[in-house]
Amino acid sequence: SEDKDVGNSRQGQKKSWSCFRRHFGKRNHLCEHGGNKCQHSQLQKDNGKQGIKDVQQIPQVKHSLNTIRHNRGVELRIEGRIQIIVQKGRKPREGEVGQNTQDGTLGSWFKITVPDGMKYDKIWLMNSIQSHCSVPFTPVDFNYANNWARFFVQGASAASALKDVSYKICDEENQKIPIFVSTSVVPYSVRDKLEPKEMEQLKLTMNKRYDPSQKALDLQMFRFDPDLVGLDIDIILNRRNCMAATLQIIKENFPELLSLNLRSNKLYQLNGLSDLIQMAPTVKILNLSKNQLQSICEVNKMKELKLEELWLEGNPLRNTFPDQSTYTSAVRKCFPKLLRLDGQVLPSPIINGIDRPYLIKPCKESYKISEMLKSLVLHFLKKYYLTYDYGDRRRLFRVYHDEACFSLTIPFNPVDPDPSSLFEYFKDNRNMKNLKDPYLRVQLLKHTKRDIVCSLCVLPKTQHDFSSFVVDFWFQTEKMLFFSVNGEFKEVEGKSQGSVRAFTRTFIAIPASSSGIFIVNDELFVRDTIPKKTQSTFAIPVRMPVYRSLLTLSREQRDMVLAFSTQSGMKLLWSQKCLQDSQWNYTRAGQIFIMLKTNGQIPAEAFKQIP
Amino acid sequence: MRPFRRDWFQGDRGMHQGRSDRFHEEPQTSHTCGGSRTRENVVTPPLTAQAASSSPMAMAVDFKTYVDQACRAAEEFVNIYYDTMDKRRRALPRLYLDKATLIWNGNVVTGLDALANFFDVLPSSEFQVNMLDCQPVHEQATQAQTTVLVVTSGTVKFDGNKQHFFNQNFLLTAQSTPNNTVWKIASDCFRFQDWASS
Repeated sequence: SEDKDVGNSRQGQKKSWSCFRRHFGKRNHLCEHGGNKCQHSQLQKDNGKQGIKDVQQIPQVKHSLNTIRHNRGVELRIEGRIQIIVQKGRKPREGEVGQNTQDGTLGSWFKITVPDGMKYDKIWLMNSIQSHCSVPFTPVDFNYANNWARFFVQGASAASALKDVSYKICDEENQKIPIFVSTSVVPYSVRDKLEPKEMEQLKLTMNKRYDPSQKALDLQMFRFDPDLVGLDIDIILNRRNCMAATLQIIKENFPELLSLNLRSNKLYQLNGLSDLIQMAPTVKILNLSKNQLQSICEVNKMKELKLEELWLEGNPLRNTFPDQSTYTSAVRKCFPKLLRLDGQVLPSPIINGIDRPYLIKPCKESYKISEMLKSLVLHFLKKYYLTYDYGDRRRLFRVYHDEACFSLTIPFNPVDPDPSSLFEYFKDNRNMKNLKDPYLRVQLLKHTKRDIVCSLCVLPKTQHDFSSFVVDFWFQTEKMLFFSVNGEFKEVEGKSQGSVRAFTRTFIAIPASSSGIFIVNDELFVRDTIPKKTQSTFAIPVRMPVYRSLLTLSREQRDMVLAFSTQSGMKLLWSQKCLQDSQWNYTRAGQIFIMLKTNGQIPAEAFKQIP
Repeated sequence: MRPFRRDWFQGDRGMHQGRSDRFHEEPQTSHTCGGSRTRENVVTPPLTAQAASSSPMAMAVDFKTYVDQACRAAEEFVNIYYDTMDKRRRALPRLYLDKATLIWNGNVVTGLDALANFFDVLPSSEFQVNMLDCQPVHEQATQAQTTVLVVTSGTVKFDGNKQHFFNQNFLLTAQSTPNNTVWKIASDCFRFQDWASS
């Protein structure tokens, strides 16, 4: 008998028994008893109606199982599909667990499970576990399934050290990660490890398929390579041992691999292939076309590879998307730097800016503006703000054109229409979102340099943070220059002293007689910022008992806490924390709450359970 | 330098105190005055004949008229722009001039083809604008091409990404015909501004 793998895809389950029969009919007497009359619903774990246990009650299966069990080295493996694997009889190797007993000499095997592990990046998870574990270990056969992550280790000492790691690692949401350890049979890739001469042959075959000029390895239809077939070596890449052997050879012989072609290998899962990330991280081109990948979740397991080109056509997963553009964007979410998908060039990834918004500094060549103009503007800004902050603002008179315009705005927040913290700017606020009166709209637009400078003089005293400035030069002709400054400043006097504001100032300027510029349009937008320290303290859950801390509050404060809790839906303690951090300014606390909530920075446990 | 008439502004002050008729003709909402809202165009009633010309007499046109016109155009424009951006992204490039430039978080995109490409790739968006301001741009800067500066701010959530604060500035230029004025974007500068939450 030979190694045979009757893997059933979801689509193929209807044909499962007939396949079984077909493959085994000629070579294995067992299958004569395997009927093809059994109900398919009983085979489908996904159906949910019948459990896996019921399968064993099917008379035909039961009989086959009994027959099978009497043969050594045969196994029924059920993992959402029925797979009946009949192997050639082989002597158990050292370290391999026998059927009934565990061989303790070289170390028993243990299965390590992280429930909910699917949400963590493999590399991060393994690095975290390794760094917390007192005993070094080698993880084997890492895979994701059913929301959990799992791998195997050998040796009781490693296993018990890993048990100690449970609930020690914190994830990004400050949840402790549990780790379950249980005994296990030998993992497949170890148990079915290819023999040295098989490995040697595999290496020779792969060498033939390697193109050194392109650093490309072509493993299309690898199972049916004439060399391998001729020597009776069955390389089914779905199987962990075959994939592990292949990757091992890649790591040892083609360490700088750029392109890997796995077309037409009937791959339905990529757990094994995900080890490629460690074995050959240089791979930039991956071809997975014409396989059996059912869902983009499989492809997601490869996301730590920095791919530039990917082929996925001919996989069932394409049908899970209503159209080409949702398919493309889902793939791009896995691989943000992807340039080509299925042979099509994707538009250049300007959107990198979304994933990691970076602020381009003025000195970077983001726009073709002459150095001279750039330095002119930067010099202007420096002088402007130095005068504005430390000098007499009336001197700014010179900088404005006679007929210049200036206006000021602050945001309009429909949830909380009156942010009291920006009250100094209320009277000049020309935000057209809430200012509808055309008369006022004209009045509040300061016109002529005299009016402008007058209004600038009465604005609060400030201290601008030059290091925070980001300048966009966004339009220029010979006669006009447009630039925007984004930055921060601090209020240095009055009720809001110490508050940090964010601002955006847009200037339109024309050249002046000497080497200077005149401002013809000036628009200033001021927004409040949230001090960073509030954010981090907010994230740490407070574990004091509720009533004890509430008792230390004044009556008024207690009322605020109750009201805040009702309005925000957060538990009392969290509401109290939020209010405390805002110095019991209810409005401000509300703003902070809304901002953090929309950014998803409030942990779920902060909210009251809905009964 | 052009002769500058300050007096009209002083004079206006007196008039405004009495809330002259001029204001009462104009209702206070943005969807007014036959500013038609074709789907992808920002169109307003024609500019006054004097404003449309570039003769020195254009200076005599009321500053207030410029401001009103700018406000009207800006409000119409912003409504259409973000609606198109969120719901009809494909149509967005039509709001731009042929040679328009977009600076998106520092990245430069010039020309309609590049813009179309860019907006195609940009994930779907949900914009919430909570600030809008506009100013008529001084003629000296624009060589008598009527231009409006529009400034907006708010929050935006792109699909697959967290929410960001954004600031955006536009230069709108008017293309006048006898029947109406079509406003198009000559330049667009967009930036995330996440001082607190990055």
